[in-house]
Amino acid sequence: MNTIALILSGIAGATLTYFVSTHFKQSTVRASALLSLVVGLFFYAFPDLLNTFLTKNIPMVFFGSSFIGMVSSKYQVNYIHLAMAGVLFGMIYLLKSDFFIGFGGMLGAIALIALLSTLGVTKFVSKSNSLKKGVQNAKATLKPIFREKFKRK
Amino acid sequence: MKKHKVIRIFTIASILLIQIIFLIKLVQDKYAANNRSATLTILLIAISLALGYRYVSLHHKLYAYEKISVAIWVPIGALACYSLNLHTNLGSVICAGIIGTIASFIPSISKDIAYLQKIPAAIYCGVFVGMSSSLVLPSTQFVLASGTLAGIFYMLSKKLFFGFGGKLGTIAFCGVLVVALINYLA
Repeated sequence: MNTIALILSGIAGATLTYFVSTHFKQSTVRASALLSLVVGLFFYAFPDLLNTFLTKNIPMVFFGSSFIGMVSSKYQVNYIHLAMAGVLFGMIYLLKSDFFIGFGGMLGAIALIALLSTLGVTKFVSKSNSLKKGVQNAKATLKPIFREKFKRK
Repeated sequence: MKKHKVIRIFTIASILLIQIIFLIKLVQDKYAANNRSATLTILLIAISLALGYRYVSLHHKLYAYEKISVAIWVPIGALACYSLNLHTNLGSVICAGIIGTIASFIPSISKDIAYLQKIPAAIYCGVFVGMSSSLVLPSTQFVLASGTLAGIFYMLSKKLFFGFGGKLGTIAFCGVLVVALINYLA
């Protein structure tokens, strides 16, 4: 449960920062800092709302993943890329070594690794014709299944 | 031109080295704990990171450096965040959020002055340095040294990782890691 909550925070941090900076025409610094401040103050004001682990780590993950959302639109990122990078951020954060705890900038380093890995795989898939066909086939196979399930509901 | 190329290679290599050290330490820890799935996950991340370096055009072709008058705000941001974190019990995220939010309003003073537009990113980079715990950076001198080093990386990397998320944090991480290493060896 804790893992899912942290991964969801990662997705929220990355996508919300990008959304605020692009849709509300705010600077990336303001979008990241202001959203992180709001999340930080929320958990500071309500420390007993969630367990100690989540109260301590959700603001950290949100703050760190907000750096992913600071990416420039020239890299042709979309919300799916950002969400994937957010998931990866959450995973690396959970796996992080205790050795680096307390080092400033560690969250930024994780954010860069998460975003670059995501974009790297995306570009690799889009450039490789066979992989591209595989993704398209998977989409074509899965779409009718999801549609059918949706109809039954 | 050759000098610029050397500086560019040095900066990229430094950032790459920091990332490799970070991932190796992660693999080492998880392997020692016999956590094979985590080790495999990190190795897959390392492979996809290599794909990122191969396929994403991260760097601008032009050679350009940030001015010292802008980079000077990196240690200032670091000191501000560290002091706020040290003298209050708000926590590092709230302190970073406060300094970052205040910094983001600096360009509003005058939108015609180009210099003011560059300050928030430099301060925000410094804020990450200032988020370090007192165990890693025990005094303001260490914060100032880390901030200055991060400022130098900030100057050199103006056209590198251009507009990429996590760049400022990685620069700060480089500064903190080098100073912490020197402190450990001394």
